[in-house]
Amino acid sequence: MKVPYSWLKDFVEIDVTPEVLADKLVKAGFEVDSIIYDGEQCKNVVTGRIEELVPHPDSDHMVICQMNVGQDELIQIVTGASNVAVGDVVPTALHNSHLPNGVNIKKGKLRGVPSNGMLCSGEELNLTEEEFPGAGVYGILQLDKNLPLGMDINEVIGKNDVILDVEITANRPDCNSIIGIAREVAAVLNKPLKNLDIDYKEDETDSIENYVDVDVRTENCNHYIAKAVKNVVIKDSPSYIQKRLISCGIRPINNIVDITNYVLLEVGQPTHAFDKNELKDGIIVVRQAENGEVIVTLDEQENKLKDSMIVIADKSNPIAVAGIMGGLGSGIKENTNTVVFESAKFARDYIRRTSRELKLYSDSSQRFEKGIDYISQNLAMDRILTLIYQTNSGTIVSGKREYIDKPNNVRFVDFTSKDITKILGIVISDEQITEILESLQFKITENNDIFTAEIPLYREDIINANDISEELIRMYGYDHIQSTLFTNPAQTQGGKTKYQQFEDKLKKTLCGMGIFEGINYSFITPKAFDMLNLASDDSRRNAIKLINPLGEDLSVMRTTLAHSMIQSIGNNLAKSVPAGRIFEVARTYIPKEMPIVNQPNEVENLIIGTFGENEDFYTIKGIIENLLDVFCIDAKYTRATETYLHDGRSANIVVGKNIIGKFGEVHPRVLENYGINQRIYIAEIELEKLFKLAKEFRPYVNIPKYPAVDRDIAILVDKSVTADDILSTIKKTGGKILESEKIFDIYTSNLIGANNKSVAISMTFRAEDRTLKEEEINSQIERILKSLEIRLGAKLR
Amino acid sequence: MQTIIQKIKEECSNLIENSTLTKELNDIRIKFFGKSGEFTNLMKGLKDVPKEDKPAVGKMLNDCKKNLEAKLEEKIKELELKEKDKKLKEEELDITLSGKREDVGGLHVLSLVRNEIVDIFTGLGFTVSDGPEIETDYFCFQMLNIPKDHPARDMQDSFFINDNLILRTQTSSMQVRTMLKQQPPIRIVNPGKVYRVDSDATHSPMFQQIEGLVVDKNVTLCDLKGALELFAKTLFDKNTEVRFRPSYFPFTEPSVEVDVSCPFCGGKGCNLCKGTGWIEILGAGIVNPVVLENCGIDSKEYSGFAFGMGVERIAMIKYGIPDMRILFSNDMRFLKQYK
Repeated sequence: MKVPYSWLKDFVEIDVTPEVLADKLVKAGFEVDSIIYDGEQCKNVVTGRIEELVPHPDSDHMVICQMNVGQDELIQIVTGASNVAVGDVVPTALHNSHLPNGVNIKKGKLRGVPSNGMLCSGEELNLTEEEFPGAGVYGILQLDKNLPLGMDINEVIGKNDVILDVEITANRPDCNSIIGIAREVAAVLNKPLKNLDIDYKEDETDSIENYVDVDVRTENCNHYIAKAVKNVVIKDSPSYIQKRLISCGIRPINNIVDITNYVLLEVGQPTHAFDKNELKDGIIVVRQAENGEVIVTLDEQENKLKDSMIVIADKSNPIAVAGIMGGLGSGIKENTNTVVFESAKFARDYIRRTSRELKLYSDSSQRFEKGIDYISQNLAMDRILTLIYQTNSGTIVSGKREYIDKPNNVRFVDFTSKDITKILGIVISDEQITEILESLQFKITENNDIFTAEIPLYREDIINANDISEELIRMYGYDHIQSTLFTNPAQTQGGKTKYQQFEDKLKKTLCGMGIFEGINYSFITPKAFDMLNLASDDSRRNAIKLINPLGEDLSVMRTTLAHSMIQSIGNNLAKSVPAGRIFEVARTYIPKEMPIVNQPNEVENLIIGTFGENEDFYTIKGIIENLLDVFCIDAKYTRATETYLHDGRSANIVVGKNIIGKFGEVHPRVLENYGINQRIYIAEIELEKLFKLAKEFRPYVNIPKYPAVDRDIAILVDKSVTADDILSTIKKTGGKILESEKIFDIYTSNLIGANNKSVAISMTFRAEDRTLKEEEINSQIERILKSLEIRLGAKLR
Repeated sequence: MQTIIQKIKEECSNLIENSTLTKELNDIRIKFFGKSGEFTNLMKGLKDVPKEDKPAVGKMLNDCKKNLEAKLEEKIKELELKEKDKKLKEEELDITLSGKREDVGGLHVLSLVRNEIVDIFTGLGFTVSDGPEIETDYFCFQMLNIPKDHPARDMQDSFFINDNLILRTQTSSMQVRTMLKQQPPIRIVNPGKVYRVDSDATHSPMFQQIEGLVVDKNVTLCDLKGALELFAKTLFDKNTEVRFRPSYFPFTEPSVEVDVSCPFCGGKGCNLCKGTGWIEILGAGIVNPVVLENCGIDSKEYSGFAFGMGVERIAMIKYGIPDMRILFSNDMRFLKQYK
C-alpha cells in the first residue's frame, strides 16, 4: 500500500523524518518495503525566466538565453528549442543538476558558446500530459509566468512528496487505507487523530425516491447504500486529487471517477458510480446471477456468470459484477448528468471465489477480498458527497437507499492484566495498558481489576485477550520481552522414533560407502513413465496430478524415485562429471483410488545410483550387501523383472518371501531415453519393509580358540550353474566344521569346453573345541565334492 | 712361536679394523677362527712348543684369540648397525605424495542443517514427529484458523490436487495432528517437506520446514524467546542475539518474525544482512487459543508457543550458499562439498 506523507498529514501532525516514522511502523507490525522520494530523481532544476534571447552566431537553430533564476546574476544557457521567447518561465537545469532520465547536466560550450545548464521539456522531467498540463508539448515546458523564480521544480510539478510503501498483513484490512495507516501513525507518534473532513449540503426539495430504488435479494450483500447526484458536471478533478492518485499509481480520469478512487484509497471502501440513465426502470437489484447470464465488463471482457455469483442489475439485465467490476456502458460518460453512487459491503469469500473464477481483478475486488467492516460504507459515501460538494461537481439529492443485514453491534473484550502477563510473560502496568489501548481508539473501562475494551468497529480482528496482548506488546515494544526457558516445566522425554533412528543409521552407512545424499523435487514429468519403459498397466503410472503445476515437467507426484535419479546422473554426465555415487531417501505417493479422493499412501523409498568406470553390477550389489549386513538382514537374490533395468543384469532383493527392492544396470533403452551413453546402476528399496526386517544387532558369537584350516578347490561345471547353486550345496554338505565358503575366481575358455566354467572356491574349516586333523578335513571335502558332482555335475579339476 | 703369534695377531687386527662390510668380517672369522683357520692351526702347533714354555705360550695364544674374537664381534655389531641405518635411509618415501583413499560420502547440506536443528530441540525434550505431505485443506488451513476463502490463504500459494487435497504449504498442519492425538504437555519438532507455487533464487517450489510446538501450563512469549535464543546461539555462535518483530500468522497470536544478529558481521552490517545487522530466520508466536480449542485443548488451562523455520534459508545463511536452486541440482561437485 502506497502512503503519501502529505496525505497522512491531513490526519496526523507528523514531526519526524520518514525514516523514523518507517522504523516506528515496522516495530508496530507494518513492514515498510521502501521509502520513495518523489523529488529525488530530479535535482537542482529550478524555475527560470528568459530575460534576453539572441540567435547563436554559428547555428541557425540554436539560441542563447539569459536566464533569471532568482539570483543576482543572469545565467547564460544555450538551447535548441524553438518554442521559447523572452518572458517565458521554464524549468531550468543548473550546473550540476540531475534529471529523472539519468542525465547529469554540467557547464559546457555549445558550438563555442558557453552554456551553464539546460532548459527542460516535460519529457525530460518524466512528466506526462495527464500529470501536468502542457508537459506533452514538443519543446520546452512552459510554466505559469507568475511562479517565483528559483523555485525547486519538484515543488512546481508536485513531486515533492515522500511515499511510504507499507505492507499490510492479512489481519489488518482496516489499514488498506490512508485513514487506517493514519490511525496507526497517530498511535505510534502519540498524537491526536484528526477526523475525516465531512461537510456537504443536500437539495432538500428533491428526494432519492425520484431516482432509484434498491432491492437486495442475496445474503452475500451485507450492506448497500445508494445516493443520487444530479446536475453533474464532468470535468477534471482538482490537482491535489490528481497528484495523490498518481502518487498511489492510479491514473486520473474525470472528477466522478477520481473521487471514487480517491475515497477508495483514503477510506479503503470501494464504491461505484452508475450513470442513472443506464438504470432501467430506476431500480437497482442486487441478486445472484442466473446460470449462463452474460455481462461485458469495463475491461471489455465477456463474462459468463454462474448462480454462485452476484450481480448488480436493473430490472432485467446485469450492469455490474458486484464488488468486482462495472459493466461496459453503465459507467460515467462525458454527457452523464445524473449519477447514482453505490457504497456496499459484499461477503469477502464470495468476492474471492468469483474474482478467481472469472479471472477478473480490480482495486475494488482486492479490498473486498481482504475484508471490509460495516462502518466504512457510510463513511465513504459521506466523503464522496463532501468532495462532490467541494468541487462543485453536482447537486446532492436528499435521502438515501440503505439495506443492512445486521445491526452494527459494538463488541467488548474483557481481560485482566494477569491474562496479559500469562501470555507475554512480562508485566505491563494498568496505566500503560489503558494508555496504549486508548491510543489505538479502544474505549477502556476498568472494574475490579477487570478491563473491558470496547473494540473499534473497524477492528474485526480483535476477539480475545491474545489479540489484546498483541496490541499491547507491539506498542509497548517487543524489546521488553525477556528470555526465559521453561520456567514452569513438565518434564518431557524428547528424541527420535525408532524409524527416525533407523533412517539416520541407514544414511550414515551409505555415506560410509562413499555415497552422497541428493534431494530431488517430489513432482516429475508425466513422461517419466514412458522414459522408464513402464508397462502400460504398471500401477506406478497412476500418479497424482497437480492442478496447478509450475510446468508440465513438474506436474505429477513421484511413484518411483528412479526417474529423478537417472536424470540426476544424466545431468552430472552432461556436465562432464565422470563418476559418482548418489542416494536419496524420499517419499513416493501411491494413490488409494483414482481419481484421488483420500490422502494417498506416502511410501518412503531409498534409491542409490552409481556411475563411472569403476562401477558395475557387483559394486552396487556390494553396497546392498553391506547395507543389509549393517541391519543384520540375510537376503537372497533372484532375477528381477523391472522394466527399467537390464534383464540379465538386475536382481530382486528377497528376504523370506518378500521382495524389498531391486537393483542392477539400467536398461539400455531407458538410458537412450535419458540421453545417457554409458552404463549406470541403480537400486530402489522400500524403507518401511527394510525397517521392519532390521535388527539392531546379532546374537553374540564366541571368538574362536582353535586354528582354522583353509582349503581351495577348483571345479568344472556347466555355465548355467550359479554361484548360489554351488555355495548352497557346499554349505549343506560342509557339516559343522565348515566355517565359511566363497568363490574367488571364475575361468572360462574353449580349452575347458565352451559350455563349461571353472570355479575356484575357498573354504575355511574350524572346530570350536579342538584343532582339526587332516583326515577329518579331507573326508569332509570328499563329501562336498561328491555332493557337487551329484547335484551339479561338477568335476574336480 | 711367539713371533708368529704376534704377526698373526697384527695381521688379524688390521684386517678387522679395515673391514667395511659384515661379509668381510665373516671371511675373517673363517680365515682365523674357522676349523682350519690360523688360530686352530696355531693351537695344533702348541704340541711342538717346549714343555716349559707351554703355559706361557698357551696363555698368550688364548688371550690373543679371545681379544681378537671380541674385537671381531664388536666390529660386526658396529657394521650391522651401519648397514641397517643405510637401509632405512634407502627406504625413505616422499611423504608429500597423496594418500590412498577410500571415498567418503556425505549427507546433503540440508540434512546436516536439519539434523543440527533437530538435535538442539531433542536436547530440550522435544519429540520428533512426522506427517503427510499431501494434506487435507482441513488440517493445513481450516483447523489453523484459516477458513476457506480467507485472505490469509494468499500468504502461501498452494499446489492443488483436488478441492480438498493440497501439497502442504507448511508443517504447521502437524500441530493440529499432534494436539488431536495428545494432551499437554506437548513438545514436538516436525521437520518435513512443504510446497509452494514459487521458484527463483530464494524460493523453491519444494523446501523443508521445521515446525516446533510447545503446549503446557504457563507458556509465555518470554519462554519462546528463551528457547529460540538458545537455538540461535547453538546453531550460529554464542554471541548471537535474537530480536522479535510483530507479524501475523492466523494460528499464532501474538505473532512475531524472529531475526538473529547477522552471523557474518556480528551485527555491524554487511552485504548478507543488507547493512541492517539482522537476518530474519523464522516466524513464531503464541498459539492462538482458537487453534487450541479447535483441537480440544482447554485454552483457559493451557497455552503454548509455535515456530516454523525454513531449512534452506538457514543452510544458505550458515554455509553462505547464494542460490537456492543449487540445493536441488544434485551436481556431484556441489554434493561433495559437504560431509
